[in-house]
Amino acid sequence: MNNDENPRSQEPERPEQPDAGVSGAPDAPVRPPAVEEVSGRQRLLAGLWPPRVSRAQLIVAVLLFGLGLGLAIQVRSTSDDSALRGARQEDLVRILDEVDDRTQRLEDEKQRLDAQRTELENSSDQAEEARKQTLEKERQLGILAGTVAAQGPGITLTISDPSGAVAADKLLDTVQELRAAGAEAIEVNGVRVVANTYFSGEGGDIQVDGKKIEAPYEFKVIGKPQDLEPALNIPGGVVQTLEKEQATAVVERSEEIVVDALRPAERPDYARSSSP
Amino acid sequence: MIAVLGLVVGVVVGLLVRPEVPAVVEPYLPIAVVAALDAVFGGLRAMLDGIFVDKVFVVSFLSNVVVAALIVFLGDKLGVGAQLSTGVVVVLGIRIFSNAAAIRRHVFRA
Repeated sequence: MNNDENPRSQEPERPEQPDAGVSGAPDAPVRPPAVEEVSGRQRLLAGLWPPRVSRAQLIVAVLLFGLGLGLAIQVRSTSDDSALRGARQEDLVRILDEVDDRTQRLEDEKQRLDAQRTELENSSDQAEEARKQTLEKERQLGILAGTVAAQGPGITLTISDPSGAVAADKLLDTVQELRAAGAEAIEVNGVRVVANTYFSGEGGDIQVDGKKIEAPYEFKVIGKPQDLEPALNIPGGVVQTLEKEQATAVVERSEEIVVDALRPAERPDYARSSSP
Repeated sequence: MIAVLGLVVGVVVGLLVRPEVPAVVEPYLPIAVVAALDAVFGGLRAMLDGIFVDKVFVVSFLSNVVVAALIVFLGDKLGVGAQLSTGVVVVLGIRIFSNAAAIRRHVFRA
């Protein structure tokens, strides 16, 4: 500032006079101030209009060139970086915080969406798995319901009843016994035995599900032969009981039993599945 | 006239060429520009008063710029750069206003 004081103290030192002159203007409004001001104006105009190449003009031009350059650079760099350059420190901190928050939020959202995507992928895998399981179950249930043919190891039980003494309840007992021993598919003389199969009629006139069957009664049973055969042959079991009735029961194991009697899939009229 | 041309050419060149300011100088440029503006207004007033001396103008211009930059530099080193540059701008602004008032009296007679 000291350095600056010098030119300033030199310059304003004398400008005190014109200032005084101007401030004195109200006292003597007309002549002296007018002369002073006109001369100042004239000096300005004289400096401006006839472009003279003088040392002073050149030096001032060089300095002003530097000023203009700095001005333009500063204006440009200020307008370049938009709002952030001129922002105060607190504002910058706040903006930084906001950006951080925003980043955090977006990061959270990304994680959430990632998790969702993983979940969806898993669930589509699960849906595929569930579809396979459903198909498998459909086949199993089809075997139980008698809507599909079945084959596998099992036994053949042939009951010959020459005297017509075997009643429906004996056949039903046989079926119960077979089921208890793990029979998975049963067919009697071409009639598939399912959950709602019924036996009716007296000896020699037996109906299965309303369809009349004739002796000998041939049971084709799929299951584990080692379980099925002893279940029938145990003392007091089906075979002995039948023999008491003058009927003969013959059990044959087989590695390949084909149960191909079918019954149509019936849609229940009233019962509906309660599981989704 | 040539001086005014110099200013205009400087602005145009600065806008067109877009010179890169070295990072060291960058913080001092705005203060230096304001100081230079102060010197220019002082010079203009001196010219209107008829007491313009080119040597004085050159010295005041350069010393203004250097001192202003020096103050900001010092303020930065002391950790009060922002406040000090605000103070410098205020002082220079006051001087620019008073010089502008004198110039106004000359030019507009009011």
